[in-house]
Amino acid sequence: MTSTIIVEKAPHLRRKDSLARMLIDVLIALAPTAVFAVVVYGFDAVRNLGVSWATMVLAEFVFVLIQNRIKYDGTKHSFKEQIKAGVSGYSINNLLAPSISAVIFALIMPARLDPYYLIYPALIAGSLFGIVIGKLVFGGNGSNIFNPAAVGMVFAKLCFGSHYVYNSRSFYVTTGGTPLTNAITEVSGLNSLTGKWTGIESVPLANLFFGQVGGTIGEAFKITILIGMAYLLIRKAADWRIIASYLGTFIVVMSLAGAIICTRENLSFFRFLAFQLLSGGMLFGLAFMLTDPVTSPINSPSRFIYGAFAAAVTCIIRLFGALPEGMVYSILLGNLIAPALDYYKWSSSRWNRRYVIILCCVIGVALLATGLGLGFGGEVVA
Amino acid sequence: MISKATHIADTKGLLGMLPTIEAPSPDYLFIATENARCSKSEIFIKEGDHVYLGQTIGMRHGAFFDQPIHTTCSGTFVGIEKHYHRSGKLVPCLKFLNDHLDEWDPSLKPRTQEEIDALTKEDYVEILKNVASVGLGGSSFPTYVKFQGKHEIKTILVNAIECEPYVSADHRLMLEKPEDVIEGCKLLQKAFQCTDVRICLKSKYHDLIEVYTEILKRHHGSGITICRVGNFYPQGWEIAMIKAATGIEVETRHLPGEYGIANFNVSTVAALVQAIKYNRPVIERLVSVTGDGIRYPSNFKIRIGTQLAALIDMCGGFNDDGKEKVVILGGPMMGASVPSIDCIVSKTVTSCIILNAEAPKEEPCIRCGSCVLSCPTHLEPQQIMAAVKANDKERIKALKPLTCIECGLCTYVCTSKIRVTDFIRRAKVIAKLP
Repeated sequence: MTSTIIVEKAPHLRRKDSLARMLIDVLIALAPTAVFAVVVYGFDAVRNLGVSWATMVLAEFVFVLIQNRIKYDGTKHSFKEQIKAGVSGYSINNLLAPSISAVIFALIMPARLDPYYLIYPALIAGSLFGIVIGKLVFGGNGSNIFNPAAVGMVFAKLCFGSHYVYNSRSFYVTTGGTPLTNAITEVSGLNSLTGKWTGIESVPLANLFFGQVGGTIGEAFKITILIGMAYLLIRKAADWRIIASYLGTFIVVMSLAGAIICTRENLSFFRFLAFQLLSGGMLFGLAFMLTDPVTSPINSPSRFIYGAFAAAVTCIIRLFGALPEGMVYSILLGNLIAPALDYYKWSSSRWNRRYVIILCCVIGVALLATGLGLGFGGEVVA
Repeated sequence: MISKATHIADTKGLLGMLPTIEAPSPDYLFIATENARCSKSEIFIKEGDHVYLGQTIGMRHGAFFDQPIHTTCSGTFVGIEKHYHRSGKLVPCLKFLNDHLDEWDPSLKPRTQEEIDALTKEDYVEILKNVASVGLGGSSFPTYVKFQGKHEIKTILVNAIECEPYVSADHRLMLEKPEDVIEGCKLLQKAFQCTDVRICLKSKYHDLIEVYTEILKRHHGSGITICRVGNFYPQGWEIAMIKAATGIEVETRHLPGEYGIANFNVSTVAALVQAIKYNRPVIERLVSVTGDGIRYPSNFKIRIGTQLAALIDMCGGFNDDGKEKVVILGGPMMGASVPSIDCIVSKTVTSCIILNAEAPKEEPCIRCGSCVLSCPTHLEPQQIMAAVKANDKERIKALKPLTCIECGLCTYVCTSKIRVTDFIRRAKVIAKLP
C-alpha cells in the first residue's frame, strides 16, 4: 500500500491513440509515393525532399524556440537558458508535422526548372513561405487555416512558374508537359472549350495510371497514391466523408461535361471521364491535402459540403479556367470556406435542412455552370 | 484517429464471470450525514445509544425533499468521525460498533400478500419515502418522485444495461437474484397499473439473456419481456435506452413520464421487494472492485457503510508497482475520483475502480472531429472548447452546452489527449449565467 493516490476529473479512461500515431500514419501513407519518386527521378527527388524537409523542420524549430522563450520577468536570462527553455517545449509532433508538409510540398514540385539552379531558390522560398505564412504565423500545429504545402506550392509557382519544365525523366518514356497542358495545347487552332479536349485521345490511359507521363514528381504514379489513400482510410487518419463527397461530385460534374463534349466532338465518354480522374494532381491532393483535418471543417455534414465544394471548384477550373490544373486552388478555396461552414450560428453535427440546401446549391451551381458554359460556349473561341 | 467511439476496452467480461463474495460485516460501520443531494441533517440519537438494524436515526434535508437515515447494523452509536464521501468531500459520518447480531428494528413489520395487493400508488410513495429508496445505479435520485408523476405510464423500462466499462455489480445481481428482479417488476406493474415491463439488456450478454428467457417461461403471461439493446457506451443513459427500447425520442428538458415511460435501475427494482414486502431499507449492495491497479479484482456483497480500505484489503491491496493510482467510485467514465481510501461506501456506489494513473501530455487540437462524431447529444465539443478559450459567452450559449450529459466520451476519444469534458463543464457554468 505504498502507492500514492491522485485525484483527477472524470473520465478516467483514454482511447489508445495519439497525435503522433496519426501523423506517423500520414508519413507511412506518403512513403510509397516518395519512394517511387526517388526511384524514377533519382537525385532530383532526393534533393526536393531533402531541401524542403530541412527548411520546414528548421523553421518549425525556430518557431518552437520563440514560442517557448522565457517571458520577460525582470531578470536577465542568458542565451543558453533561453535555448534550453525553448528546446524543452519541442515535442515529437513538432518534427512530424513539418515533415509531412515538407514531403507533400516536395512531391508537388517539378523535378527540374530551367535554368536548373533555380530549383533551389524555388524549393526554399516555397517551403519557407508555406510553413511560415501558411502555418506558423497562425500559431503552429492545429491553428493553421490553409494547408502549408499548398500555400508553398502556389507561392513557388507564382514566383518561378515560367521556369517550370516537366520533361525530365530518367525512366519510362518522356513526354513534355503534364497531360492536361499537353492535351490542350497540342491541338492548336481548336481553341474552343469543348474542342480543346480532343487531344486527350493521344494519351493512353495505362500511361496515366502507371505514371508514364510528365508532371510533378509525386502526382503521376496513381498506384502508390491509391495505396496511400487506402492506408489512410483503413487507419482512419483521413475522413472518408471528404473523399467520398469529393469523388462523387467530381464524377457527377465531369459526367455532365463529358456528355456535352462527347456529343460535339469525336470522343469516347468513358475515356474523357477516366482521363479526368487519372490526370493531374487530383488524386494526390485529394488523398493527402484535402483530407488534412486541421484545415477541414469539423462537423460531418460540413465535411460533405467541403468535399463537394472543392470538387466543384476543381471541375470549373479544369473546364473553363486559364490554368490547366485546379486542384491546389480548390484545396485553398475549400480551406477558406471551412470556418464559414462551422460558424456557430448555423453549425450542427447533424444534417438539417440548411446543410442539405447548401450541398444541393454547391452541386447545382457547378452543374449549371458546366451545362451553360459548355452548352453555349462550345463554339465560342475562348 | 477520426472515428466515433464504439467500444471501450475493459475487463468486465472476466469479472462478470466471478461469483459474488459475501463480505463479512465489519466491526465498525459509517453512515454519512450528508450527501450530494442533501447538505443538512439532524440526528435523533446520542452517543452510547443502542441501535437496531434498519432503524431511522436521523433525517437529511435536501433542496426539495427530506431523506431519512437508516442504520445498517445493530449495535452501539460511538460518535461522529470525518471520512471521505463518494462526492470527494470530507463529511461527518456516524460511527457504529457492530454487535454482529443483526436484530431488525421491531417497528419494521413485514406486510402480508393481501396488504401488498391493497397498496395504492400513494402508499408506495409513502413507503419509499420512509425507506429512503433512491436510484441505486449511481444517480441517487429519490425513487418516490417517479411514483408521484401525474402522467399515465404505458411502459416500464428496467435499466440493466450497465454500460460503463469495468462495472459488473448489476450483471452479478441479475444472474444471482433473478427472482428478486422479477418480483420487483411485478410490484411495479401493480403500482403503475401497467403490464408492459421491459428489462433492457445489452445484446452481447448471452448468459443473462439465457437466464431470463428461462425464468420468464415460469412467469408466462406476466407481460415482462426482455429487450435487447446496443452494446455501446452510453446506451444506459435513459434517453438512449428509451430510444433503443421503444423508439421514442425524449426531448431535452422533458421527463420520460410525459411520454408514458417510467424507468428504473435494476438494483432499485430488486431493492423494491425488500422495501414493500418487509418495509426494510437497503442495507447491503453489490460492489465490484476492479481495475489494473488492484491485485485480485472481485465482486462483493457488502454492508453499506463499509470502509473502502477494508474492501481493498480483501482484494489483496494495490499492485505494488510503484505507480500512482486513481481511486474511482462509480464507473470509470463518469465516476468521481476520491483523494484517499479512507472513504465510506454509500448505497449508490456501484463499484470501486483502481487504475494506474496516466496523464498523457496535451497536444494542440487538430480538429479531427472524433469528439463531434462521438457525442451522444450531438453537440460540438471542439467548438464549445474554442468558445470557452475565447471567453465568448454568446457563442457558448449558441452551442447549447447545457444538453451535455458529461458522459466523458469527448475526452475519451480525443486524439490530442485534451480533457475536453472539463471545458464543457466550464461552458455549462458560463451558459447558466444571465
